[in-house]
Amino acid sequence: MNFLNSLATKSPWLFRINAGSCNGCDVELATTAFIPRFDVERLGCRYCGSPRHADIVLITGPLNVRIKDQVLKVWNEIPEPKVTVAVGICPISGGLFKQGHSVCGPLDKYLPIDVNIPGCPPRPQAIMEGILIAKEIWLKRIEEAEQKGVRRVELPK
Amino acid sequence: MQDTYTYLAFLGIALFNLLIFPGGLFALSLGVLFKGLDRKIEARLQRRVGPPIIQPVIDIVKLSGKEAMVPETAQRPLFQSAPLLGFIGMAVCAALLPIPGVSHGLPYMGDMLVYFYLIQLPAVALMIAGSSSSSPFGTLGFSREMTLMFAYEIPLLMVILAVAMKVGGDHFAEFSLMNIISYQEENGQFITNWVMIPAFLAYLCFLPGTMGVPPFDIPEAETEIVEGPLLEYSGASLALFHLTSALKSIVVLGFGVVIFFPMTLGDNILVNIIWFAFKCFVLMLISCTFVKSATGRFRIEQAFGFYLKIPALLAAISLILVWLEY
Repeated sequence: MNFLNSLATKSPWLFRINAGSCNGCDVELATTAFIPRFDVERLGCRYCGSPRHADIVLITGPLNVRIKDQVLKVWNEIPEPKVTVAVGICPISGGLFKQGHSVCGPLDKYLPIDVNIPGCPPRPQAIMEGILIAKEIWLKRIEEAEQKGVRRVELPK
Repeated sequence: MQDTYTYLAFLGIALFNLLIFPGGLFALSLGVLFKGLDRKIEARLQRRVGPPIIQPVIDIVKLSGKEAMVPETAQRPLFQSAPLLGFIGMAVCAALLPIPGVSHGLPYMGDMLVYFYLIQLPAVALMIAGSSSSSPFGTLGFSREMTLMFAYEIPLLMVILAVAMKVGGDHFAEFSLMNIISYQEENGQFITNWVMIPAFLAYLCFLPGTMGVPPFDIPEAETEIVEGPLLEYSGASLALFHLTSALKSIVVLGFGVVIFFPMTLGDNILVNIIWFAFKCFVLMLISCTFVKSATGRFRIEQAFGFYLKIPALLAAISLILVWLEY
């Protein structure tokens, strides 16, 4: 089963959530990290449109009051085992928007974050390294789920 | 007593055909290999490294280990049985596939008509999936899938009719795939016959539509309607959809090989199997991989218009030429 598990981690499907980001990190995610020059598809990565297909979720932005419930709802739709990656400085501290009246972050008050990729925006190499670290965490999750059964992470209210 | 033995032998052969060869294991592994090669070649054409060739296997292994979720508002029985419906249809189709020089398929007349109906089953399964998932994107995908299916069925039906009339001759149409193969072995393959070349081109246009690859991936358009009917599926059900599409690619490609260029290489079974797979692969390269890596996506009314104009016209030309020949 170990072999199958490590095989399974070679197919991380990514899903992006924009939690009030300025779009800088999203552009980095969608274009520079995925250009043919770096070609993340050789790691088996693929962007999927539906949260139900996702394995690794990439969250950008400082988390607004307006969008908080939707982000948590979409995060809940992703099937276990999953890994959460926060991209950019905003989910960590609020970044540029820290003093903003509508910012209710940091993100890890609400969601269990596994990997932080700091930067404003992060370099594509950093994003790819973050995805590789997320893959290792994902492997541990899968093995855990195999021993103890799939367990949903309940969000704190 | 004799009857029981004959019956058991028939059952055994049928099970062997369904589970191992030419359906089941053989068709699945070939289909998954084709999917991997397709992705790799597409990546190389776009000057990328591309995923490993076994990437579809990895995807399926991963998906079968994921949590399978069903939306609360979905029609649960329909939602869960839709992927099975498509998969079973394609498994039966693959089991009935005659491989020239190797297996005979269904020994009765009319199996081409059975094929015509069974090939539509995955599309019907997608429609059920989309409409039962209670998601607006699923419903959009459902309507697009139905429109597209109506459009590509017409050229397919005319291609089948042209082939049947060509083989049948003066008075009747021949719908048995085995007879079509033996006719071509005597009178030359249809791909070398100028009367049938328009029909072959029409079949080439039909292939990307039925396999759901660009420019005809309209029902599952990822960037517009987030994979439409597949949106709400996760885990093993999604893996089943992927397996179905792998099987379907083998079925439609193999069907094209059988009705247009079924020539065998000698009598060796192994050589013939590899030759058949190679011909399917070339057909896939021409009709899917090259087209897919060079095009964007049609809008649904453009695709509908395209199918009713060009492939239908080509197939009709073939049909008329065949009719004029007699």
